[in-house]
Amino acid sequence: MNDLINDLYQEIILDHGREPRNFGECEPHNKSADGHNPLCGDNLKLTFLLNDQNIIEDIKFTGEGCAISLASASLMTEKLKGKKIEVAEEIFKDFTNLVSGSDEDLKVLNEEDSLYALKGVGGFPMRVKCATMAWHAFKQALKD
Amino acid sequence: MDDTKTLNLNVRKDFPILSKKILKKKDLIYFDTAASAQKPNTVIDETNDFYKNHYSNVSRGVHTLSVESTFRYEDARKKVQKFLNARSENEIIFTKSATEGINLVAQTFYEKFMQKGDEVILSLIEHHSNLIPWFFLRDKYGVVLKFANIQPSGEIDIDHFNSLFTNKTKIVSLTHLSNVFGTELNEKAISICKDKNIPILLDGCQSAAHLKIDVQKLGCDFFVFSGHKTYGPAGIGVLYGTENLLSEMPPYQGGGGMIGDVSLEGASYAELPAKYEAGTPPLVEAHGLGIAIDYMNKIGLDNIIEHENEITKYAFNKLNEIDFIEIHGGDNKRNSIISFNVKNVHSHEVSSFLDVEGIAIRAGHHCCQPLMKHLGVNSTARLSFGVYNSLEEVDKFVIALHKCKEFFNK
Ligand SMILES: Cc1ncc(COP(=O)(O)O)c(C=O)c1O
Repeated sequence: MNDLINDLYQEIILDHGREPRNFGECEPHNKSADGHNPLCGDNLKLTFLLNDQNIIEDIKFTGEGCAISLASASLMTEKLKGKKIEVAEEIFKDFTNLVSGSDEDLKVLNEEDSLYALKGVGGFPMRVKCATMAWHAFKQALKD
Repeated sequence: MDDTKTLNLNVRKDFPILSKKILKKKDLIYFDTAASAQKPNTVIDETNDFYKNHYSNVSRGVHTLSVESTFRYEDARKKVQKFLNARSENEIIFTKSATEGINLVAQTFYEKFMQKGDEVILSLIEHHSNLIPWFFLRDKYGVVLKFANIQPSGEIDIDHFNSLFTNKTKIVSLTHLSNVFGTELNEKAISICKDKNIPILLDGCQSAAHLKIDVQKLGCDFFVFSGHKTYGPAGIGVLYGTENLLSEMPPYQGGGGMIGDVSLEGASYAELPAKYEAGTPPLVEAHGLGIAIDYMNKIGLDNIIEHENEITKYAFNKLNEIDFIEIHGGDNKRNSIISFNVKNVHSHEVSSFLDVEGIAIRAGHHCCQPLMKHLGVNSTARLSFGVYNSLEEVDKFVIALHKCKEFFNK
């Protein structure tokens, strides 16, 4: 099988794509946003609970999309749960760099992270939007 | 491959891009002509030649280059007129795209013939290009939009369509060949409009290079298409309109080239077709479109249609045999386009997987989100064929599809 395809669809991606974790709505929640990829129609809704120490206590998503967008959202919720907002924002920056094909200068993510599995998206520029949809929803929710 | 007679047009060599290797080693199989067609050498060379040897603005000066440019631009109009069998060159307006043509008609037809509460009939299978310009009329002026249902075959439900007409119906706008199903519009839809004396616009984006178009026989009042889907350059489109309607409707944009006489108090407007062509037009692209039409004529539109029908039927039957494939629409009146889903695999995955095999197909909503909602999917994969495709390519595609299914269900 082609290397590019194997890099893109690592086992963990296929697994999270088939069975996304933290799928549903967070109740109660105090932050939410919709993610949308107008190019293909994929969409998701992200909800989370931010406590008074600025820690993401719980985070969930629902929606429909391709394996990449579902896996990315699923892995994101796993990674961000229990993190302080400042850390989450650093992860956001690292992640967007990673999937755009540059893994130099990463501050908080490293090869041990499950999110690293999405690095293969860099070989498919048209799929970067799939991988970042949930993350942009997360940023949006912080702004609102 | 079956023993079906193959009309091999043998034109692959005319398209330089088709010798490109994908990821350095895979032969390119281009199944995305519905999004945009590849360009033959003649179009590429002739547009180059225009810039190198003849280029200037059109209809603006009297020097040699201006004459040469104007000649090419107007000659392209003649070719389009013949291609569509319009009565006169005055009925051929160059736009930048089909999209611009529809916007032009929606806006100027409204200004002349409609008011608040008047109705437009569209359908569920329309491309966003044939929805949003009419949404504008609804939002800005209180025009009412009605949408004809479709049948599982992908064809418009003619009875439902017929039932939508009222004494407030002012115009109908429908796709001539669906970019999702590949189904041709039932001619009855046009004859119903004729009987009721309601103008009809046909969105010919997908039909122009894949069906023989005769606007007089069709009986449509407007017909739009884009050059880039008919083997010509992007940036040029065509609006055909009957001289009656185009004369009565007001100009669309204002600018140079569309005027009769201007003083500070006002202006009179140019005659057709210049009236609708404000500003410097995409003149080289228009010429390129003319060359693309020459190219299709040289192969023969009948041959092209026969060739594509054969491939479409072949691919449809092949896909229909596969239990993990769901095809959208039926096989009746289908031409050059097949949308499908691989069960339990998102169309993005299918498209990325095929991409590394060198096969370019489209995945997404195809600018038809209301239709996707109706089908209960958020995206489909789409095959679309052109002159350069072959049955062998379909065979390779089917093998790749099986590999794809295996990969994602491992
Ligand atoms: C049926 C249909 N209508 C309209 C369009 C819009 O064409 P363009 O973007 O060239 O204006 C397309 C192209 O995708 C189409 O397939």
